Amino acid sequence: MKSFFLELRDFFVSLKLTVALIAFGMLLVFAATLDQVNLGIWAVQEKYFRSFVVYTQAGGLTVPIFPGGYVVGGLLLINLVAAHVYRFTFKWKKVGILLTHAGLILLLVGELLSGLWQEDSHLRLSEGQTKNYIESYRHNELALIETTDATFDDVVAVPETLLAKKTSVQHPKLPFRMVTKTYYPNSVLQVRPANAPASEATAGFGVRTLAAPQPITYKPNETNSPSAFVEFVTTEGSLGTYLVSTQFVEPQTFTYAGRTWKIVFRTQRDYQPFAVSLVKFTFDRYPGTDIPKNFSSRVKLKSPDGRDDREALIYMNNPLRYAGLTFYQAGFERDERTTVLQVVRNPSWLLPYVACGLMTLGLLIQFGIHLAGFVGKRRPANVTPTPAPAATK
Amino acid sequence: MQFLRSSRLPLSLCPVLLALTACGDPQPVAYRTPKEQDPVPPAAPVASAEAPRTPTGAPAPTDASTAMASTPVATATGAALAWSAPARWQAKPASSMRRGSYTVSGEGTATADLAITAFPGDVGGEAANVNRWRGQLALTPLPETAASSALTRFAVGDLKFAVVDLSGTANGQPARLVGAMVPFGGATWFFKLIGPDALVAQEKPAFLAFLQTVQPAAPTP
Repeated sequence: MKSFFLELRDFFVSLKLTVALIAFGMLLVFAATLDQVNLGIWAVQEKYFRSFVVYTQAGGLTVPIFPGGYVVGGLLLINLVAAHVYRFTFKWKKVGILLTHAGLILLLVGELLSGLWQEDSHLRLSEGQTKNYIESYRHNELALIETTDATFDDVVAVPETLLAKKTSVQHPKLPFRMVTKTYYPNSVLQVRPANAPASEATAGFGVRTLAAPQPITYKPNETNSPSAFVEFVTTEGSLGTYLVSTQFVEPQTFTYAGRTWKIVFRTQRDYQPFAVSLVKFTFDRYPGTDIPKNFSSRVKLKSPDGRDDREALIYMNNPLRYAGLTFYQAGFERDERTTVLQVVRNPSWLLPYVACGLMTLGLLIQFGIHLAGFVGKRRPANVTPTPAPAATK
Repeated sequence: MQFLRSSRLPLSLCPVLLALTACGDPQPVAYRTPKEQDPVPPAAPVASAEAPRTPTGAPAPTDASTAMASTPVATATGAALAWSAPARWQAKPASSMRRGSYTVSGEGTATADLAITAFPGDVGGEAANVNRWRGQLALTPLPETAASSALTRFAVGDLKFAVVDLSGTANGQPARLVGAMVPFGGATWFFKLIGPDALVAQEKPAFLAFLQTVQPAAPTP
């Protein structure tokens, strides 16, 4: 009987595993493409490719049904590396193949790292406005902002996922506990009709506002508007139940023990050690049409230590790279004085370029070697035999 | 496949995979920031040159009319509507933008404003107009289906009204807006009552009764 380690080795270096994984990969892409109709591009990526296991709902249960992209890609990576290590024999005429495979391995690693590390955010700036934070596209947070201090705000930001799971939040910076009683991933707010049942909210906007749950939207041009009823509880009792919603722009406030908090349910913020101001947004159209010709944002970067204080021009295909972030010109608002910059943090952004370079080089070498060999073999065959000169007597 | 069937490895790997998926939830974070200089701006629709959406999914564009309040637009001319307003509503002179204008007074100094306007076409559609009104009450835009579902519909003769009742804030105070829109004569007519929450709530029945009086104006000779 083979030892476990031999079995493990044989499993990972197997060419059959390669074929099986490629088949799994094709099935995964096929299923994800079909499901994109229901879930949209972002949810599909998370469900099928940026996951270890693909789950489905069956009768209220969450059932694993298929290996996810991380498993298929990860095993393919291990398989590729293991097979090379196991069967490795260096020959000059195999350099092209080795380089091509090295490029493929790097591409897989790059995708894995992008999946793990890449963060997409946005920065929305009106002319003259300065921000030192970027905002998430899809994640929200409930910010409890203590405004007691005259100079600073002390913020405790609770991720939406904790509200969704109705996790009780007890943070050392808060003299109360936050309990989520109801959570709607998507909702619409309406004026509470006089005959509606009593509101779950006991304070704030929710007393006179009705939050009606809506189906979650996966359409690429729509966003969900989550709402929740949260209660703040101290050892002395409840401070009230508030309706929080991303649709409220104005904050709600409450006071406890001489300290005041604002409650804001907003897109998740990521504060940066520098500030960006929009100096000027420029927008040109093709003459006589409404079709955008080009648009650009002149921004000013400023770090608190004064080391950076400069302007930069961001326009299509000319992003600004700063502090590990890349700022792309992504959109603008209708007033044409407000810009929307896509902000990407991807420490592994260079890997796909290096990988493609390696693969190109490898294929060129490999085909070059074959071509040279082929030409070399053909040349003697093409030489027409010339009759030997007659011997002179 | 033979090697998958014969090997115990795929099965033994399954628990590992499931364990990998059990990632921890993000935790609350605490930080201190200087007080914000800018007021929190209402989320506004985004137009992208790569329409209809920015590459990584910026908030969706809704309609150009969202910014209509601050943009010069053509008002509708042509067929007109007529109505009969309660006597206690104080008529104000119409303007280049307003076809009708009233001050609705409540107890004390509280007043609400009723504006009657008309613009050519559908002005971006019902959802865009609901979202424009939402913006005036510092509420963020809704997806099209949700915005449309917030409308109550009724007909007066051939006029088909869509009415929305919104509650939010204006100038930091609780405010309410009851708005009606009706397509007529190639234009869309808007009847908007906006003011303090309590006053608009009190006047809403009168406003709805007022809408019942709206009818095509008799042609002028």
